[in-house]
Amino acid sequence: MVFFTLLYLPLLLLLLYFIVRPHPVTIPIKNRHVFITGGSIGIGLAIAKQAASEGARISLLARSLDKLKEAKQSIEKAYDNVDVSIFAADVRDYDAVQVAIKKAGPIDVLVVNHGVYNIQELENQESDTVKFMIDVNLMGSINVIKAALPLIKDRKDKGPASIAFMSSMAGQKGTYGLAAYSATKFGLRGLAEALQQELISDNIHISIIFAPAVDTPGLEEARKKMPEISKIMHGSDMMKAEEIGKITINGIKSGKFSIPCNLLGQMVAVATAGVSPQRSFFMASIEVVFAGFFRFLALLFQFKMYGIIQKWHPQKRK
Amino acid sequence: MVLSLLLLPLLLLLLYFIVRPRPVTIPIKNRHVFITGGSIGIGLAIAEQAAAEGAARISLLARSLDKLEAAKQSIQKAYEKVEVSIFPADVRDYDAVQHAIREAGPIDILVVNHGVYVIQELENQGLDVVKFMIDVNLMGTFNVIKAALPLMKDRKNRGPASIALMSSIAGQVCVYGYAAYSATKFGLRGLAEALQQEVISDDIHLSLIFPPVTETPGLEEAMKTMPEISKIMVGSDMMKAEEIGKITINGIKCGRFSIPCNLLGQMVAIATAGLSPQRSFVMASIEVVFAGVFRFVALLFQWH
Repeated sequence: MVFFTLLYLPLLLLLLYFIVRPHPVTIPIKNRHVFITGGSIGIGLAIAKQAASEGARISLLARSLDKLKEAKQSIEKAYDNVDVSIFAADVRDYDAVQVAIKKAGPIDVLVVNHGVYNIQELENQESDTVKFMIDVNLMGSINVIKAALPLIKDRKDKGPASIAFMSSMAGQKGTYGLAAYSATKFGLRGLAEALQQELISDNIHISIIFAPAVDTPGLEEARKKMPEISKIMHGSDMMKAEEIGKITINGIKSGKFSIPCNLLGQMVAVATAGVSPQRSFFMASIEVVFAGFFRFLALLFQFKMYGIIQKWHPQKRK
Repeated sequence: MVLSLLLLPLLLLLLYFIVRPRPVTIPIKNRHVFITGGSIGIGLAIAEQAAAEGAARISLLARSLDKLEAAKQSIQKAYEKVEVSIFPADVRDYDAVQHAIREAGPIDILVVNHGVYVIQELENQGLDVVKFMIDVNLMGTFNVIKAALPLMKDRKNRGPASIALMSSIAGQVCVYGYAAYSATKFGLRGLAEALQQEVISDDIHLSLIFPPVTETPGLEEAMKTMPEISKIMVGSDMMKAEEIGKITINGIKCGRFSIPCNLLGQMVAIATAGLSPQRSFVMASIEVVFAGVFRFVALLFQWH
């Protein structure tokens, strides 16, 4: 049996090498223009710093002018020759976004990183909060893309461009307390997969980053009102924003479609590969060979999660 | 080879014990089925199937009072005993939705079927059209669920309940021209996976239906502005609304989380099983064994 598989493996690798689409691509960061929404704090700022360290020109878009100024100073202090422009705008306001993007000029790498989240049972969550998340995370992302597309197509060097979406592991699996947030992040994936097909001929490459829980001001805020069950289910494993910043820029450079951030994320990415594109024939082979195994793990995971719910939910109701 | 034959029953046995949530049967007979977007197309087909299976009451929610009345007549003509209530409301209006749901009374099976779609390259699509799809398909669904949840949780001794969300194959796979529509349908899946964890203790069970292209008034409208590439990729294989109606009701009765509608849909469902729940240990085994094959086929699809 082992002999059998050993024979098939190189055959599989060869076959996948030829069929993986879209083709692999490398997207340079140095001397290019990186535009980051939600770029004044947390993961957005970390991405900006990483891009600055690799020699890019940076534009940041966010709501608060004060936080943007601080971010700009902090980046300029760390990296000498970097050019940082800041634009205060709310992504829900298409006109404001368009003005900012036009001022920023042709874009090579667009990082749609902004996002808000509130972790609560849907039953207890205000409709306004749900609407807020949908408007900012989903509609806001679409506003940014529509405004930026003409300028990305207009980029000077006509080299490969990137549109990267900041998603979350909640965008790969729906979890207790995250119904509305997961809906917006799953939505980004649907958007990304279709966009990749529509924009590949313009040499524009889509990436989605699936971050786990990350130590950021955003998470601090959310933890205040998080239900107990969510805290138990998520555990306390957090990554640092700087790590996500590095992983994001590296993933964008290799033109990867799915960018997980740690081992667990990688496993979830393989399990949820679905019909999403995979440019690396090697990753494709791993996905094909281990898909079954990961589906099994995913089922084990459901077993564990539903066990926690069964244990904690009735207690809550007492 | 012999080893795998040996491992198979072991796998089946193991999965039998670990699949969560547990399997469940959800009866239709003598129960109250509430359907949004229930006046035409797939929604009406679901209503008719539910009536055929002896639902005691059918409630339809949609925007047009005229179409609702036509639907009510058509159902009552075909199935005498069923009681049909109609509620004109726009799902984007939370208060109107809440009012309708309260008037309708305790719901056993909620079918969130309403939806709009316009297929076009995102670059060419108007933002108002995108917003329309997001507001109706996504926010509208949240409105309906939030209005119905408290009443569904409050049902006393009425047995297992169901919340079924009408998605689409475009909610599993993304295709040229479907960016905004797919975004809304992918979103429904995130919602369903999370919500299932939140309401399982109330004996409420989520289902997602993934129809392929179906012959409905909605599709006719969309074909007018569909780009050529999308038409080619989608092909001309269309299913009838009545078939989807039957498949939906059957899937709800088995408490299935993912309800595909044809063979291709079944294959896509296995390929995109991801981390969604699977209650049937047999399906779970198929997913585990064939996941690799289907990922390979999915990659072939990208190549094509």
